[in-house]
Amino acid sequence: MSAVAVEPDRTLDVRGLSKTFPVPGASLLHRQTLRAVDDVTFALKQGTVTALVGESGSGKSTVARLISRLYTPTGGSILYRGEDVGAMHGKEELLRYRSRVQMIFQDPFSSLNPAKRVDYHVARPLLIHKIVPRADVPDRVHELLDSVGLVPAQEIAKKYPHELSGGQRQRVAIARALAVEPEVILADEPTSMLDVSIRLGILNLILDLKRGRNIAFLYVTHDLASARYVADDVMVMYAGQIVEHGPTDEVLQRPMHPYTKLLLSAVPNPNAGLHSHRLAPRPKADLAVDLVGCRFAERCPLAVAACVSDPQVLLERRPDHLVRCPITDPST
Amino acid sequence: MTGVLEGGVGSPSAVGQETLVELRELVVDYVLGGRHIRAVDHVNLSIGSGEIVGLAGESGCGKSTIANAVMQLLRPPAQVTSGQVLFRGQDLTKLSTEEVRQFRWQNVSMVFQSAMNSLNPLMRVGDQFVDMMKAHRKISKSDALARAATLMELVGMDRSHVRSYPHELSGGMRQRTVVAMALALGPELMIMDEPTTALDVVVQREILQRVQDLQQDLGFAVLFITHDLSLLVEFSNRIAIMYAGEIVEAAPSDELFRRPLHPYTVGLMSSFPSLSGPLERMAGITGSPPDLGNPPSGCRFHTRCSHCDPAGRALYARQTTERPVLREVEPGHFVACHLLDTP
Amino acid sequence: MGGPDRERAGRRRLRLPGWLKLLLGNPKSRGGIIVLSGIIVVAVIAPWIAHANPNDFSLIDSRQSPSFHHLFGTTDQGSDIFSQVVWGARSSLIIGAAAALLATVLATTLGILAAYSGGVVDDIINLITSVFLVIPTIPLLIVVSSYLHSRSGVTMVLILGLTLWGFEARILRGQALALRNRDFILSAKVAGEGTWRIIFSEFVPNMISRIAAAFVLVFYIAILTDAGLEFLGLGDMNHASWGVTMYWAQVNSSFLQGEWWPFLFPGMALALTVAALVFILAGVDEVSNPRLRKDRKRGVIRSLFVGGRGARVALDAKDPA
Repeated sequence: MSAVAVEPDRTLDVRGLSKTFPVPGASLLHRQTLRAVDDVTFALKQGTVTALVGESGSGKSTVARLISRLYTPTGGSILYRGEDVGAMHGKEELLRYRSRVQMIFQDPFSSLNPAKRVDYHVARPLLIHKIVPRADVPDRVHELLDSVGLVPAQEIAKKYPHELSGGQRQRVAIARALAVEPEVILADEPTSMLDVSIRLGILNLILDLKRGRNIAFLYVTHDLASARYVADDVMVMYAGQIVEHGPTDEVLQRPMHPYTKLLLSAVPNPNAGLHSHRLAPRPKADLAVDLVGCRFAERCPLAVAACVSDPQVLLERRPDHLVRCPITDPST
Repeated sequence: MTGVLEGGVGSPSAVGQETLVELRELVVDYVLGGRHIRAVDHVNLSIGSGEIVGLAGESGCGKSTIANAVMQLLRPPAQVTSGQVLFRGQDLTKLSTEEVRQFRWQNVSMVFQSAMNSLNPLMRVGDQFVDMMKAHRKISKSDALARAATLMELVGMDRSHVRSYPHELSGGMRQRTVVAMALALGPELMIMDEPTTALDVVVQREILQRVQDLQQDLGFAVLFITHDLSLLVEFSNRIAIMYAGEIVEAAPSDELFRRPLHPYTVGLMSSFPSLSGPLERMAGITGSPPDLGNPPSGCRFHTRCSHCDPAGRALYARQTTERPVLREVEPGHFVACHLLDTP
Repeated sequence: MGGPDRERAGRRRLRLPGWLKLLLGNPKSRGGIIVLSGIIVVAVIAPWIAHANPNDFSLIDSRQSPSFHHLFGTTDQGSDIFSQVVWGARSSLIIGAAAALLATVLATTLGILAAYSGGVVDDIINLITSVFLVIPTIPLLIVVSSYLHSRSGVTMVLILGLTLWGFEARILRGQALALRNRDFILSAKVAGEGTWRIIFSEFVPNMISRIAAAFVLVFYIAILTDAGLEFLGLGDMNHASWGVTMYWAQVNSSFLQGEWWPFLFPGMALALTVAALVFILAGVDEVSNPRLRKDRKRGVIRSLFVGGRGARVALDAKDPA
């Protein structure tokens, strides 16, 4: 357990994180690997929501799973308050980490055990981590359900998942995550499978928890608009790499990377004027192919030869605003 | 409770535009173990030729049931209890099985959310085109394949993909293939049921732009079903909002966007955070979608409506006992709401 | 929510577990349960209905066809076949159930562990499973029983359990693989649950119908194999059982002498028991896989075993045939 000098408010530090998967079905001679996550670096701070935005296949969910130790990184490191998470092997260490870093999943229909009641789900973390004495567990369960807006708590606690709506199930998942009083919550597309009128409630809950409990959130999503609503910082991911990173307003109002601009123009935005502009269709990046240069180059209208041949690095082109692209002009 | 309107909801006001599909007082129930769940409750809707009509609502509101009703795909436990589904004036429920089979795909086709619902994973794409075309008309295999290749190009794919298996194509490409198949027989109406929900926003825009272009070239009508209201505002001519099996508001897209009148529509619009404009906390809609087996009395939205207040006395009494009727409150703009009924 | 609460209030009197209600509702398993219950009852009340000792020797009474005194006739040694069949029910049921229990516990534990752990653990367990799958029952029984110098029921249960757990382990592993990436398993892991807790609290409750099916399947295979082994003379020849009765009948060439009763009655008892279990299994299969159910007027979709969306599935169900 090596301690690294760390700024006091950087709870979770991700440095150069990489994850490759072997590609199944590839021929024996040519072992192909999928670069799901490539050299990702960022930090999560207490009381802030950091959005990780990307399309399916961008690697954003994999990042969340790496941090929650559902996958093992193939490169880079994750530091929790200066401690190397990858070096935690002991049962005690792991349990302590799990009590500090929690996760909420995308699918409310499969993130709860259909055979168990709501109170079981929320009570288990309390019991595993011995948060309160056994006798106090039912009360604490009701308190937690209350705090996420599931009322009346006593009734809801006795229900099975299939008796609840999608939004209610997601709130149960949040209550379960809150049970251990975590410092970090990784939310993997928590609203994409919910009804429209329910999503806002969950987003508002995240805002309340961020302020009220000073939790550091990683909000993984493909929806830029919801990222704008809840997040303080936005990271845009493409083909396993972070291509742009900065404060929300800065990135969304003054995007620098061509992919970010593409995303922004593709989102349905009735406010921006009806029947807005056209995109040129192009193929998507094949993550199994090892590219040296920029992975977006084949789709990029601004690409030059250097983009493909030279590896691109994240650079701070404006204060606090990093971008992985040599071409864009920071002054525009 | 019937809402009797001249010519049906949102009937084409433009001169010369004929009505292609009309739903009249359609009622569809699901019969589950003795319980009747009314999924579609006296719905009136018409689609003119060449029109893009959007149908918005959340899960369980009945929009997919309507799509299946038009395609005559409803199976037990679903049943059409009353009402009519008319295509060019002809009642579809009166057709024989063979006539329905011919009608399906020829006159009206459908694109589903998951392409894998439409594509056979074990057959090459081109062969599936051939199968489908041969089922509807006399055509040789080579001609059918040629047409398939043309259609693939039409939706922006390479002709060579005719020889691909579905799993070899990306999600976006599969969905384009499904659109191509839906257009193969030149239908007059294409129903799209959440066609892009599972796709990336960039791919979504590409596909819908392509459909828009094709629609302008070929002149077919589209019934676009989705929960994404902002998408509909951009894409469709007219929008109908469904809640708990009823149409609560219907209007031309920009009119609906500028002046939503029904509290549910207003609530829905304020549930979509936007990328531009001021950043402030949004209220959305309280409560959750209703249990269709036991819907609220009177106006089905009243339990979640911010304008429903017991202090309102007479109005409250009406809201909790009487079902509001869909009325044309402005030219082309229909709303079913007690708040707008002149006392 | 008025619906489910109202239902619950009405049923306060007869609280049958949900699974039993479902099995009784299905005509196949209902028949199977009734017949099996009958056989179990017969086995339980054996001391009261079979007065004759099944092992009695009585040369006077030997080889008698069914009569009022000896309902199923007598063996060549004069033992009452009715007693043998009735007491034999105990033997078959107990050995079958015990073997099924052993096999199911092994298959469930190892199958799920293999699926959940993956990697090296999975490989090792698969190797063990393969080894046990290959071992043939009869030679193993011969080897083990001669080594142990006994052919008791315990030996039989062990042999049957150890040779029959393999294929079910494969099947359960397959099902667990499908569950492994469901988010609730991952949530449990992220919450800090230990491996064994996850296997028994998260996997098992969601695989109950398949595990139950495995149990019933091994149960009747064990009964059949047990009877078969005894018929071949490899079991404990001194206790009352259907296979043993038929063995002695075979050895004494009863059939050649026109004595059908030492075969028919034990054989029928065996067939009836196995058939009952097969029907129960069919019912369990239909309950766990709604698609196998035929459309019955009362209602098609039950949310109890499906888990997940419940009623919402019905409304969102697209069946564009």
